[in-house]
Amino acid sequence: MGSPMGNWPSYNPHSFSQVVPADPSAQPSNVTPATYIATHRTDPPPGQVITTDPKNILLRHFYQKSEEKLRPKRAAPDNLTPQNNGKQPRGPVADDGGSQASGRS
Amino acid sequence: MSVWNYVVTAHKPTSVTHSCVGNFTSPQQLNLIVAKCTRIEIHLLTPQGLQPMVDVPIYGRIATLELFRPHNETQDFLFIATERYKFCVLQWDGEKSELLTRAMGDVSDRIGRPTDNGQIGIIDPDCRLIGLHLYDGLFKVIPFDNKGQLKEAFNIRLEELQVLDIKFLYGCVKPTIVVLYQDNKDARHVKTYEVALKDKDFVEGPWSQNNLDNGAGLLIPVPAPLGGVIIIGEETIVYCNANATFKAIPIKQSIIRAYGRVDPDGSRYLLGDNTGILHLLVLTHERERVTGLKIEYLGETSIASSISYLDNGVVYVGSRFGDSQLVKLNLQADANGSYVEVLERYVNLGPIVDFCVVDLDRQGQGQVVTCSGAFKDGSLRVVRNGIGINEQASVELQGIKGLWSLKSSFNDPYDMYLVVSFISETRFLAMNMEDELEETEIEGFDAQTQTLFCQNAISDLLIQVTANSVRLVSCTSRELVDQWNAPEGFSVNVASANVSQVLLATGGGHLVYLEIRDSKLVEVKHIQLEHEISCVDLNPIGENPQYSSLAAVGMWTDISVRILSLPDLELIRKENLGGEIVPRSVLLCTLEGISYLLCAVGDGHLFSFLLNASTGELTDRKKVSLGTQPISLRTFSSKGTTHVFASSDRPTVIYSSNKKLLYSNVNLKEVNHILAIAKEGELSIGTIDDIQKLHIRTIPLNEQARRICHQEQSRTLAFCSFKHNQISIEESEIHYVRLLDHQTFEFLSTHPLDQYEHGCSIISCSFSDDNNVYYCVGTAYVLPEENEPTKGRILVFAVEDGRLQLIVEKETKGAVYSLNAFNGKLLAAINQKIQLYKWMLREDGSHELQSECGHHGHILALYTQTRGDFIVVGDLMKSISLLVYKHEESAIEELARDYNANWMSAVEMLDDEIYVGAENNYNLFTVRKNSDAATDEERGRLEVVGEYHLGEFVNRFRHGSLVMRLPDSEMGQIPTVIFGTINGVIGIIASLPHDQYVFLEKLQSTLVKFIKGVGNLSHEQWRSFHNDKKMSEARSFLDGDLIESFLDLSRSKMEEVSKGMGVSVEELSKRVEELTRLH
Repeated sequence: MGSPMGNWPSYNPHSFSQVVPADPSAQPSNVTPATYIATHRTDPPPGQVITTDPKNILLRHFYQKSEEKLRPKRAAPDNLTPQNNGKQPRGPVADDGGSQASGRS
Repeated sequence: MSVWNYVVTAHKPTSVTHSCVGNFTSPQQLNLIVAKCTRIEIHLLTPQGLQPMVDVPIYGRIATLELFRPHNETQDFLFIATERYKFCVLQWDGEKSELLTRAMGDVSDRIGRPTDNGQIGIIDPDCRLIGLHLYDGLFKVIPFDNKGQLKEAFNIRLEELQVLDIKFLYGCVKPTIVVLYQDNKDARHVKTYEVALKDKDFVEGPWSQNNLDNGAGLLIPVPAPLGGVIIIGEETIVYCNANATFKAIPIKQSIIRAYGRVDPDGSRYLLGDNTGILHLLVLTHERERVTGLKIEYLGETSIASSISYLDNGVVYVGSRFGDSQLVKLNLQADANGSYVEVLERYVNLGPIVDFCVVDLDRQGQGQVVTCSGAFKDGSLRVVRNGIGINEQASVELQGIKGLWSLKSSFNDPYDMYLVVSFISETRFLAMNMEDELEETEIEGFDAQTQTLFCQNAISDLLIQVTANSVRLVSCTSRELVDQWNAPEGFSVNVASANVSQVLLATGGGHLVYLEIRDSKLVEVKHIQLEHEISCVDLNPIGENPQYSSLAAVGMWTDISVRILSLPDLELIRKENLGGEIVPRSVLLCTLEGISYLLCAVGDGHLFSFLLNASTGELTDRKKVSLGTQPISLRTFSSKGTTHVFASSDRPTVIYSSNKKLLYSNVNLKEVNHILAIAKEGELSIGTIDDIQKLHIRTIPLNEQARRICHQEQSRTLAFCSFKHNQISIEESEIHYVRLLDHQTFEFLSTHPLDQYEHGCSIISCSFSDDNNVYYCVGTAYVLPEENEPTKGRILVFAVEDGRLQLIVEKETKGAVYSLNAFNGKLLAAINQKIQLYKWMLREDGSHELQSECGHHGHILALYTQTRGDFIVVGDLMKSISLLVYKHEESAIEELARDYNANWMSAVEMLDDEIYVGAENNYNLFTVRKNSDAATDEERGRLEVVGEYHLGEFVNRFRHGSLVMRLPDSEMGQIPTVIFGTINGVIGIIASLPHDQYVFLEKLQSTLVKFIKGVGNLSHEQWRSFHNDKKMSEARSFLDGDLIESFLDLSRSKMEEVSKGMGVSVEELSKRVEELTRLH
């Protein structure tokens, strides 16, 4: 690889093609574009006023854990795979979540 | 001044905090979007450079600005989060040119400690979620659904409490963040987490890296397929990724806070450091494996706060500390080894640390001289309102009645002759070969009489109109070619001409229209109007620049202005002006493609009408006051654009900006006639400034100025400044007191301060029993081992032969944060204490400062202002207190205080009773002295009477005005205070009479219904006083920026507002326009 300079990405070859560098001794430019005034409706589409889930993080973990506990009980009768097989993949996730929750809160 | 205050921006924020590039306004257009604290600017990339499109006010201080592209969209959306925990997602509607709100909301939490290192807002590169770090220990997630809509946000606990940066990694199956944090042993590490959206929790990420550079502060995620992250430290740059690739390079110690990605694949980055050096960081790679890092020096720019690679090697460098720049990266280094070429600089006044108001002409119009910029980008900026004429030459000439310029032939680009008309003669001046102006003769012209009008005409002819005749003279031979004589018994009173037409009026209401045909004057039409004619004009505004089909005529008696058709002089329209003042000058003109009829009446008022050039219809009548004397109107052209010069006792340039007529006063005392300008008793020729409202002149210092003050008597400015000296690794600062000429800004003298000594305050003052004027400088010895300075000095300088002469020095027991001239003595704020010094004459004739009395009881007395015997103190954290000096007892006592815990950044006394303060949560408030209260307890309390969220950090208030105040106008009676802020805002606080305040308050509350906050952010919430402890609605302050935007509304919206107010549009416009003339 040669010089890292050059080969600058180009998205539109015309951009800046006619720029004349400003006179270095000139005063910096002080142009502000027209000020935007919103006289139209600015409310967002329905459902897009976002709020934060008010549930406490700790409570959320408790609910999640209890849901997870409930789930295997219901699933068990239909599930024909051996019990320990079904438990293992879930185990570390549940444990991990539990330890994080208790560790952090 | 009063409790009823109007706050308005005279100069918008210019300090750039964020910038980003994307296809925002259309899928084909590439835009640069720049955030300037409370505003965003949208620019378009064009062959000619950056084209500013729109400046958008945001009702909040922008904390995060990100462009992103949701799935299935062809254009980028803009995500903005504000410091007060509001956010919005904006989309540009190209058809209507409107900013649509796609989503918005509040992301604050009831409990939570705001982060110390600023808010972080990031968007997953695959657009699965927005991540926010706003409070220590919490990471907020706003998920996207599969249609790109936002869903309810939730918090995840983040174990790391001292987070320095968080970024999303590219190319991860699950959204993954990388966190740079500091542990409780101050070591810095990075760690990754996957965001499990379903479980609303983190899962330990694929990798982490411990024990990084102690100064690591910035993460740069690298796009797929390379992936991973670059960690920028103060001494090393490290790359690491999930495959345990680890590359590091050492760098020269520097703090890098700004970066811009060059290549979409992430193989090159621009890095900007704290000394303004631009580097190129290159990730060398083989296929998809990073093999090393390289860093190259590119050159010097302003100290960057944001860097955006635009296109074709052109880069935008946004700065908080200096002017922002557009730079080009060249392939070859120049003679200085720099690859950077500056294409354009954009003015930035921020941070305004201090300023003074200088009224050089003593006309009540101040120019503001700011201490702007920081570190190497420090400068003084001279800000003044109005258009300047840079005088090239002037001669004393008494009794000039008229002045015209003529070209030596029709197609010449420049003027050659000046025709100067006096009451009974006309003289001709011409440029000679040496570019000097000398008197000449134009033989065909009548020099023995006053000239009424002069003009170059087609076929290389010159027209002269006098009371008796119209003369046509050849440019080449200068001899008379044709002549039209006024009928016997009539003399020409007023006349106007263009290159092919002449219109003149004689007594008795006779109006004569001539045309130039084949070098002959042909009388085409003659009519008699029922009244005397006061002024005429036939400036071409139609498509043909050589021929006008409309004429404007002003009338005595019925005080009307009439539009007549040409050549038949049929009346098209008659507009009664009302009142009793005769129109003295009319002008037809086209500015920015819009035709106007301007009509100036004898008392300095100007009427403007929109003119339909084909039908002659007049609409949108407006009346403004430009001065008090008759105005004469004429068009001129500067830099290819046509403007109107209104000469009178208060010369004004009328120009059009964004299709709106604006008035800018010209900084000249009195102008009777222009082109070259004839002042009272003087003829001067000058070049005109760029046509705009505020003019800023930069005096680069290459060091940072902190305090400035003006001394009229010695015609100087003095300021305290400091310079960073980086000798090897050891960094040191040297502080100075410097002296400048107040007109030329030439450096006159410098006084270096001691080692560790900082200049903290400077004033110009005089003492009792001493006629001299001195500069007093307060200093502090800032020793590395001390928490607060325990030693400082007061230095008294005299200016002798343009030099600073140290006369007296007095040691103090702390930092002299503020100084005031006070009853012929010197009042100093020194750490916790207010101290008064007498100026004592010693037996040997020298002087000394002798401590007289003091007042304890402040945390740190940072700002003091005085009025009579009263002293107002702004404390570091105990808001405002009021002290009084008792002469008899020679003591300073506290009278009252505000018991709120405001951390002050500036105070000023608006009048004896009302004081204004600015504090560090960007609020303004006013307090009132309760001297009439019944109990001691109440008298001892400064009552908070006004509260307002400015959204800007004010460093200084000063009494003064940026505009000339006409004493006889209503606006001239309104006292104003100027303020300067960190973001480079110059603003005005104007104290209004109560009835005007009530009227404008109603207007403001009506406008809020019509002018919405962009992103649906609420104006009421934005302007509410807000700090850690409380939030309360704004009161006794009006938002002038909102009120003045009334003038930018469309006519139909104005009418709706007018209906809501029950006041006519014309009256509303007039009242708001008057307000705009406060700044």
